Amino acid sequence: MRRLRICLAICVCKVARWGLRIVGRGGTNLPGKLAMRCCPDILGVLGQQVFTIVITGTNGKTTSARMLEQCLENGAVPAFSNRSGANLLPGITAEFVANASLGGKMRLPYAVIECDEAAFRRAARHLDAKIVLVTNVFRDQLDRYGEITHTLNSIRAGLEDSPNATVCVNADCALSAGMVAGLPNAVRYFGVETAFAQGGDEGTDMARCACGAAYLYEYKTYGHLGLYRCDTCNAGRPAADVAVTAVLDEAPDTSTIEVRVGGEIHQVTVNLPGAYNIYNAAGVMAAAAAADVLNLGMAVISAALREFRGGFGRMERLTVGDVTVRMILVKNPIGCSQVLRYLASVTEPMALVFCLNDKTGDGKDVSWLWDVDTAPLIQMGDMLASVTCSGIRADDLAVWMKYAGVDEAKICVEYDYDKLLAAVAKSSVPVMIMPSYTAMLTLRDMLAKQYGLKQFWE
Amino acid sequence: MELKICHLYPDLLNLYGDRGNVVTLARRCAARGIDVSVTGAPLGERVNFADFDLFFIGGGQDAEQAVLLDEIQGWRGAEIKAAIEDGKVMLAVGGGYQLLGHSYKAPDGKETDFIGALDFTSVGVKERMTGDYMFEWDEPREAVDIVGFENHNARTYLGSGVRPFGKVLAGYGNNGEDGTEGARYLGVFGTYSHGPVLPKNPVLADFLIRLALERRYGGGVELAPIDDALEERAHGFMAGRLRG
Repeated sequence: MRRLRICLAICVCKVARWGLRIVGRGGTNLPGKLAMRCCPDILGVLGQQVFTIVITGTNGKTTSARMLEQCLENGAVPAFSNRSGANLLPGITAEFVANASLGGKMRLPYAVIECDEAAFRRAARHLDAKIVLVTNVFRDQLDRYGEITHTLNSIRAGLEDSPNATVCVNADCALSAGMVAGLPNAVRYFGVETAFAQGGDEGTDMARCACGAAYLYEYKTYGHLGLYRCDTCNAGRPAADVAVTAVLDEAPDTSTIEVRVGGEIHQVTVNLPGAYNIYNAAGVMAAAAAADVLNLGMAVISAALREFRGGFGRMERLTVGDVTVRMILVKNPIGCSQVLRYLASVTEPMALVFCLNDKTGDGKDVSWLWDVDTAPLIQMGDMLASVTCSGIRADDLAVWMKYAGVDEAKICVEYDYDKLLAAVAKSSVPVMIMPSYTAMLTLRDMLAKQYGLKQFWE
Repeated sequence: MELKICHLYPDLLNLYGDRGNVVTLARRCAARGIDVSVTGAPLGERVNFADFDLFFIGGGQDAEQAVLLDEIQGWRGAEIKAAIEDGKVMLAVGGGYQLLGHSYKAPDGKETDFIGALDFTSVGVKERMTGDYMFEWDEPREAVDIVGFENHNARTYLGSGVRPFGKVLAGYGNNGEDGTEGARYLGVFGTYSHGPVLPKNPVLADFLIRLALERRYGGGVELAPIDDALEERAHGFMAGRLRG
């Protein structure tokens, strides 16, 4: 009976997924939901056959997964991944089913799975991960989760349900580091040991020691990340097993860093710019080093970081007509502040396009815009050619830009995506498109159809 | 003319883009040549309230609000209460609004005393009240609709010593039961509306500025009109959506 249920779940899921793709939709959640309806523990049945590396946390999940996937590919480790970014329980389930035979046998022995931080609580017990990478914890979509404490509790509960996992945690993030206290699991820390980014004016989350005292900071890299300590109980940032010791070069398309792994110093080039991608690379190196059964040497990891391709819409570089376009997903104040800081560091003229929706996938509350540090936009001066505001909440974007001090003559509103993309294709300067999540899916789909780019699930 | 703004607890009560309210006040003053300054009053730092014309206090997460409870129940609470009785103009949003009331009763029955400057109490509930909302405010010469976003897990019940700030047209407001939103008392405007509330509701922003200037310079202050086309459009979009 049980075998029948498993088989049925797999059939239903595969057929639904195939059907949705035939009609040109990247259906990622519905097939998984159907499978779970047929066999509630389908993910557990399939998950226990696989060595799974789970990536969770607020920012950097998708990019870290792409980096790690490339490491495995270069190391000839047969693995699959939820590439489409469907990172809730049904999406993860559908990905496992897609890689299973009708009889319920997994075809590949390894998996790199990004998991939404709120969904991790429920997904963990099925997945029985061998490695969990927690990238960081920032405030994000408070209309959905209420408070950041909720996110911390969810990840913590997921970790408690992952007894066989080595946990890789951002040492510079006091919220994440505090969360692993008292876990029986092996813990590996990664971090940055140079004050390279220097935090700006974004609204930050308060990090407090377990004793209640506010942490004192020697420096902050961004947000609440940095070198912190508590004088009351002599606690502070844990020593990092994987540490970025120097940032040698921050180019428009890459960063070159010096990193200490297991006492040895390596030079690594990361194939995406921005301070947050340096953190992502450090996390991935920690996870790759923790997965010693994979035998990935630093040569393999370093080559993978140099050549991996970012996830769809994550600093993705596209050519639209003759125009160089970067699609940069923005979804919370910390991430958006980091993107603007990166843009200000690129010393060439550019046009910006913000595209803000307020559907469930974006967050219904768009107030977070006002927590973004917009000072870099003003620093850009003449390098900033124009700011186009689009999406369902285009008008809110325009007001936000006006009060940020952007010259009103540079601000325009365009609701129509066809006209928007036509204008992008005619731009005389590179265009940086910063969409919220659902806006990114729509724009990405239109670009794929009009300019022959890959669909997001490919 | 000059206007001095005091931002209470910018370090702790900084949720939901509330600082956009302060930015909006400052820019709308500057656009009219009013000499405006913003001073923060973080945890543990005393400022002389008598120096300021307009106060802003925003919301925080529960953990952050717990940190400043001692101060709120002690010297700072007393100073805020005195400033309010003195007629200072104040905008209080979300958690900051709740702090001005008598108390908060958690779902487990535990009661916490707050400042008690305004006659209302709040009761915690499990279900969050979240979403776009709108209320009618009839204080200006012509009544206006204020739009915003609410996200609170407390129901606030007004006593007889305060008036509601507005009448709920869509959404929950104070408690989702009696149709009231926010509280008005002397120069205080308390509301659950973040979003932040002022950028999209320029009438309210200017009302606060004018009230604060009149208190400092005597009555009859007229603010020069400024271009609000973008603000009005953002307001109109949300009002249109909520009217259905």
